[in-house]
Amino acid sequence: MTLTAVLIVAAALIGIGLYGALSQQSFVMLMMGLELILNGVLLAVIAFWSLGAGGPPRGQVLAIVVMAVMAVEMAVGFALVTAVFRRRQADTTEKLGTLKE
Amino acid sequence: MTAIPLVFALLAAGIWLSALAERFASGRRFPSGTVFAPLLQAARLLSQQSVRTEHPDGLNWVLSPIAYLTLAVAGLSVVPFAPELAVAPLDTGIVLWGACEALTIVAVFLHGWSANSMLPLIGGYRFVAIGLPAMLLSMFVLIAAALPAQSLSVGAIVESQRSLWNVVRQPLGLPLFLLLGLAISLRGPMDYGDAADLSGGTAAEVSGPHRLAWGIARLAMLTAFAAMGASVFLGGYLGPWLPGPVWLALKTAALLLVLTWLGRNLARMPAPRMMAALWLVLLPLSFLDLVIAGVEALP
Amino acid sequence: MTAADLAFYVLSAVAVVSGWRVFRTDSMVRASFLLMLSFIAVAAIMLMLAAPYIGMATVFMMAVEMMVMALFMVMFMMNPAGLNPMSMVHQNRLSIGAAATAFVGLTVAVLFTDLPHEKVARQAPVIRDLGHELLGPSMLVFESAGVTLLAAMVASVVLSARSGRFGPSDEGSRPPGLEPGGEPAGRVPESEQEDE
Repeated sequence: MTLTAVLIVAAALIGIGLYGALSQQSFVMLMMGLELILNGVLLAVIAFWSLGAGGPPRGQVLAIVVMAVMAVEMAVGFALVTAVFRRRQADTTEKLGTLKE
Repeated sequence: MTAIPLVFALLAAGIWLSALAERFASGRRFPSGTVFAPLLQAARLLSQQSVRTEHPDGLNWVLSPIAYLTLAVAGLSVVPFAPELAVAPLDTGIVLWGACEALTIVAVFLHGWSANSMLPLIGGYRFVAIGLPAMLLSMFVLIAAALPAQSLSVGAIVESQRSLWNVVRQPLGLPLFLLLGLAISLRGPMDYGDAADLSGGTAAEVSGPHRLAWGIARLAMLTAFAAMGASVFLGGYLGPWLPGPVWLALKTAALLLVLTWLGRNLARMPAPRMMAALWLVLLPLSFLDLVIAGVEALP
Repeated sequence: MTAADLAFYVLSAVAVVSGWRVFRTDSMVRASFLLMLSFIAVAAIMLMLAAPYIGMATVFMMAVEMMVMALFMVMFMMNPAGLNPMSMVHQNRLSIGAAATAFVGLTVAVLFTDLPHEKVARQAPVIRDLGHELLGPSMLVFESAGVTLLAAMVASVVLSARSGRFGPSDEGSRPPGLEPGGEPAGRVPESEQEDE
């Protein structure tokens, strides 16, 4: 288990996540893509911390920040999905063609 | 590695005891041969036909009872039977237990969802709505218990209770934690998953060996929870004269009986009212518990 | 190959394959729990990388998050049960291209970079370090994350509450009809209920 191997796995997760975020029409599936990207980022951060940088405490703080980003993304994302659905009955990205009211 | 047989012995004894206690509490007759009644019931279920629903999600249908049981065993693996005697004496024992709680909710939901039938699905949804806040407040209570120990390891939490048990030091802790125990083992006032008003909820469609596995998993989770509660709030293996594992077993048995009694004797609220109570009353109470623990920890 | 290496390869295969299947399954519940499986595999790799707290906390957080995700999926997707095959993708080729470019680019970058190779000490008290760092030198980072989460909570309540600041948030919105021009499906908006 070398740093290179772990980082390639993280790159694969980021790639798949990017595919999901770009290709999915449903909001919730799109958010799953974003989550998968963050999953790869979290793995890369921990791999750098553990195998590259010799375990400085700050590396784990960065991982905590990534987890906070995940939580914020989920909370605000679902709130936006709910708000958009209430307002326009829209559940896919195609139904939001405009930014106007 | 003497801890592994101890874990399974405790699980087996706990399952058997709670099955008996359930039988006793339900007011059925209790003649001399009843000690073996759970075994007879198990044998009867094993020989029953297993019914399948139309188009179940085959994988999760089989996997959810197994996952439920595995999570109980995993949760029990961080509980110490004596100083340094646990299957996994992790520094992050409490976090592992929290992960087991969270995954239990997933396992119960998948059990209800995979049947592809209405009542189990409703049971699964209802359980998620109640189970998530219950799990949330149990984590605050556990963190409060970890505060005087200055560690997330269950062993250190037990050691920190040498002078005074947490049940006295943090009086709000155990009652709130018991609530979670009722929720994740699906019983009594917190049984929104497998309740009788849904004719068995997530287990409405299962029969035969599957029902047996699900029942065993529920009782195993109850036992694991009782052992965890005994370790975190009742001093675990600490006690005079007797060896540590015996004390842990006695305290676990006491909590099992208390849980069975509570499950039988507390009324269940409607789900919306319970949800309001959880978020608006019990969750703030768990914050209060955290505050009390923090103030006590001040030098 | 040691046992740790084997475990790493198996876990990364699980993480990548289940991550890929998320976007290939018809059932929304399956998709969210496949994503959870991917997260759990990554968490297990993180446990092997001597990050026990972050790994366990990821499992805990993702189990809760994906449970909520599954509920939202069922709420907001047509065909939530996944009984019918369906494909809800747009710009598929572009996405595949972008994903492949990202993966190849990152991999090339990883392979051609001179990475440092200093491993974390075997007996390092990583959890204690993390705690002291969070409540010591990195207190500002930690508190910023906390305040951001609080802001996110307030924002999500404001956004998702039906009683919006300027009146009901679903005022004037009409569900699409069951057939073109027909009765709206689902809940009738409250403003129209009063008229009847």
